[in-house]
Amino acid sequence: MILDVLDWFTRSEQWTGSGGIPVRFGEHVLYSVLALVVSALIAVPVGLVTGHTGRGGFAAITVANVGRALPTIGVLTLVVLGMGLGLFPVEVALVALAVPPILVNTYEGVRGVDPLLRDAAQGMGMRGAQVLLRLELPLALPLILLGMRTAAIQVVSTATIAAYVGIGGLGRFIVDGQSRREIEMILGGSLLVVLLALVVTGLFALLRRLVVARGLRARPAATG
Amino acid sequence: MPDAAGPIGLPPRFAGQVGEVADWALSNIDDPIAPRLLEHVQLSVAPVLLGLAVALPLGVAAARWPRWYPAVLTGVNVLYALPSLALFFLLLPYTGFSPWTAIIPLALYTLAILVPNVVDGLDQVPDHVRQAATAMGFSPMRRLVRVELPVALPVIIAGLRVATVATISMVSVASLVGLGGLGQIILTDGFRRNFAAPVVVGVLLSVALAFLADGLLVLLQRWLTPWTRGRETGATSRSRRAARRDAPPTAPDTGSAAPPAAPAARGEDA
Amino acid sequence: MITFEGVSKRYPDGTVAVDHLDLEVPTGRTTVLVGSSGSGKTTALRMINRMVEPTGGTIAIDGEDVRAREPAALRRSIGYVIQQAGLFPHRTVEDNIATVPLLLGRSRGEARGRARELLELVGLPPEHARRYPHQLSGGQQQRVGVARALAADPPILLMDEPFSAVDPLVRAGLQDELVRLQKELHKTIVFVTHDIDEAVKLGDAIAVFRPGGRLAQVAPPERLLSEPADAFVEEFIGYDRGVRRLSFFPASALSLRSDVLVEAAAPARRARETAAATGEPWLLAIDADRRPLGWVAADVLAGADGDRPVADLDLVGYGHTFSVPTDSLRAALDAAVLSPAGRAVGVDADGTVVGAVAQTDLGTAIWAVGEADGRAAVDGRA
Repeated sequence: MILDVLDWFTRSEQWTGSGGIPVRFGEHVLYSVLALVVSALIAVPVGLVTGHTGRGGFAAITVANVGRALPTIGVLTLVVLGMGLGLFPVEVALVALAVPPILVNTYEGVRGVDPLLRDAAQGMGMRGAQVLLRLELPLALPLILLGMRTAAIQVVSTATIAAYVGIGGLGRFIVDGQSRREIEMILGGSLLVVLLALVVTGLFALLRRLVVARGLRARPAATG
Repeated sequence: MPDAAGPIGLPPRFAGQVGEVADWALSNIDDPIAPRLLEHVQLSVAPVLLGLAVALPLGVAAARWPRWYPAVLTGVNVLYALPSLALFFLLLPYTGFSPWTAIIPLALYTLAILVPNVVDGLDQVPDHVRQAATAMGFSPMRRLVRVELPVALPVIIAGLRVATVATISMVSVASLVGLGGLGQIILTDGFRRNFAAPVVVGVLLSVALAFLADGLLVLLQRWLTPWTRGRETGATSRSRRAARRDAPPTAPDTGSAAPPAAPAARGEDA
Repeated sequence: MITFEGVSKRYPDGTVAVDHLDLEVPTGRTTVLVGSSGSGKTTALRMINRMVEPTGGTIAIDGEDVRAREPAALRRSIGYVIQQAGLFPHRTVEDNIATVPLLLGRSRGEARGRARELLELVGLPPEHARRYPHQLSGGQQQRVGVARALAADPPILLMDEPFSAVDPLVRAGLQDELVRLQKELHKTIVFVTHDIDEAVKLGDAIAVFRPGGRLAQVAPPERLLSEPADAFVEEFIGYDRGVRRLSFFPASALSLRSDVLVEAAAPARRARETAAATGEPWLLAIDADRRPLGWVAADVLAGADGDRPVADLDLVGYGHTFSVPTDSLRAALDAAVLSPAGRAVGVDADGTVVGAVAQTDLGTAIWAVGEADGRAAVDGRA
C-alpha cells in the first residue's frame, strides 16, 4: 500500500495540469487562507472588544458555542441551496468553523489579563483604547495565536469539502479516489492535507516567535 | 455586536419558509427524522465513550511519565489533522457501512481534546492532596481512583463537553459517505432534491442535540462533583492554571481556553 | 495639598466604603492611611486619581476639584504604585518606567534616558534596564514600580500597600529607601498600609480608619502612639505602643557614664580601683581605639591577679551598641535589655565608645519622657 501511494505521488501526470497536485494544493491553501483571514477579521475584534469591556461576553461565547455545534455539511448545503455552487458556500462553512476557537481564545485571553495590570495601566492614565492595544492585546496574543492555529488546522482539514461543490482543492483526490476505488489516491490526498496541517503548525510557531513579546516567552516554567 | 436585535416583523417570505420547514418536519417525523436522529445520537455517543476509554489510561500514563507527554500530544494532534472524509473512505474497505466506519475516526479526533484535559486535570491535583492520600495509606491505584481522578473530574468533563459538541457536529460528515445520521437528511432529502426544509431541520436538530448533550454533561458534573458548586467552574480554573504554562506544541483549542502564556505568576521572584 | 471634604463612597448594594471623610494631606509630606481591610483606606486613596468616583463630597488638589479634570490626564500627573508593583510583563524594565512619559508624548529616547536616571535613583544597576520584570526579584520589581511612578516627576505619589507582598527583610529595605527618597524629593505621598509599624516608620502624619470607612484619628505618629483618641485606635496600634513610642526620642538626650570605661591594656589593679570609686558592678573594657571589647565584672576583678591586663580576664559580650547621634531611646533600651550586663553601650558615628547606660538609668530617662508628655498635655488643655 505504501508503495502504491509512493507510486501515486511519483506519477508524472499528478504534477501537471489543472487537476495536478500543485494546482489542487494551491486551491486548498487559497480557500484555507481566505477563510482564516475572514474569520480572524471577524473574531479578533469582537473578542477584543467584548473581552475589554466585559459586555456582550456571554453573547459572544454563546455565538461561538452555536458555531461549534453547527454541522459544517449543513451550513455548506444551506448556502449552496441559497446561492448556488461555488466558493462562497465553502467559505461560509469554513468561517463558521474557524470563528469559534479564535473568538473564544481572544475573549479569554483579554479576560485573563491580571486585573492588577489593568489597574496599573488605568492608574497611570491610559485610556480605554490604550489599555486594550498596549496591554491587553500583547498579553492575549499567545492565546489568540493558539486559537488561530487550532482554527487553521480545522480549516485545512475541512476544506476538503470544497470538492463537493466542484471547486477542487485536495479533497478532489479523496472524492475521486473514492469514486474510482483508488485507495492510494485517497491516501495521497490525505497525506497532503496532513502535510499542510504540519506546515501550518510550523508557521504558527514561527509567528509566535516574531510577534509575542520576549518578556512573555522567556519566562521561568511554573512548577506543577 | 453579535446580539444586536434583528428586524422586528418577519418578512412574509421568511414566515412562509418557517411554515414550510415546520410542515416538512411534522410530516417526516417517523421517517426519516426519528431514525436518523437516533443514528446521530449513537454515532456521537459511541466515539466519545470510546475516546474517553482510550484517553483516560493514556492521559494517566502521560501524567505519570511526563517525558512521554510531548510525543503523545504530537501523535493525537497529527490524528486531529487528518481529514475526516479521508478516514471514513479509508475504513470503508475494512469496516464497510457499519457504524464503526464513523465511530473509529470520530473517536480518534476526541483524543486530541480529551488527552490534554486528562493530563492537565491530573497535573492540577495539588501536591499536598496527593501526599496526604499517600500518608493515609492509599495504594497508588486506589489513590488515582479515589482521590486524583475525582479532583481532576471538572477539567476532564470540560474536555468531554467540547469533544461531545465537536463530535455531534462532525457526525454529519459521515453522511457524505452514507453512514447515516442527521447529515443524511441534509444531503439526500435536501441537497440532492434542492430542498431547504430538510437541511434546516437537520442543522437545527444537530445543534439542539449538541446543546442538550452539553447541558446533560454540565448536570453530570454538578452531580459528580458537588464540592465545586458555588466555586469557579472546572473550565475556568483550568484556564487559570493553564495560563501559567506555555502552550504545548500543537494542542488544539479545547474550548475552555487552551494553554497560553498570560501574565507572569505573581509573587515568584526570579 | 489634597483636601477631602465630606467625601463618601456608597456602592449600589448599600455598602459604605468611605463615610464623610474630612482630611487634609499636606504638600511635600507623607501621609499614611492605615486601617484593617474594609476600612475604606484604599478606596479613599483611589478617589484621589479618580480610579473610584466618590458618591458625595469633594476632593481637591491645591483647591482644584479633581472632577474638573479629565481622568486620564489627571492620572498622568499623579504617580501610582500598587501592590506587587503591577509591572507589564511584556515590556522591559526601562519601557515600564517610560510608560507615563510616553503617554505624555515625550520621545522614546528622552523617556528611556529618564528611565535610566530613575533606575539609579531607586538603587538598581543600569544593566537591569533591558531586563524583563520576571527576571527581577520581588523587591527589585517594587523598586521599578516606584521608579515608574516617579517617571513623569509628579508632585503627588499614591502608594497602595506597595510593600505588602515582599518578605520582611526586603520590606524594611524598601521602607528605608522610600524615607531616603522622600528626603530628597519632597513629594506629597499618600501611602496605604495595614501595618502600623510601617505607618509609624514612614508617615509624617497617620490617618487611622475604622471599619465602615470612618476616620478614627489623624496625628503625627508620635502623638498617635502617646495619645490614641479612643479605645479603637489604642487597640489598633497595639499594646506595645509605649515601647514603640521611644523611637521618637533621641538617644542623645541620655546621660552616658564614661567613668566605667577601662583600657584593656591597663592592669587589673587599676580597674579594681575604678570599680571601687564608681561603685559599679560592671566595667566596659575598650581597646586603644576606644572600641568596645566586653564587660568585666567587679567580682572577677576582685579575684584577679593585680598585674594582669584587663584584656586577659573573663570578658562578657556587650551585645549590640546603639548610635548616640542617630538612634532612639528604643534602640538604647533594646541594647540594654539584650546585654548580659544589663547595660547598653553608646557609640559615636565612627564606632568609638561614648559611654554606657544601665537599665535603671534608662528607666529614669523614659519616665522623664512620660513626664514631659504629661506636662505638654496639661499645657495643651490650658
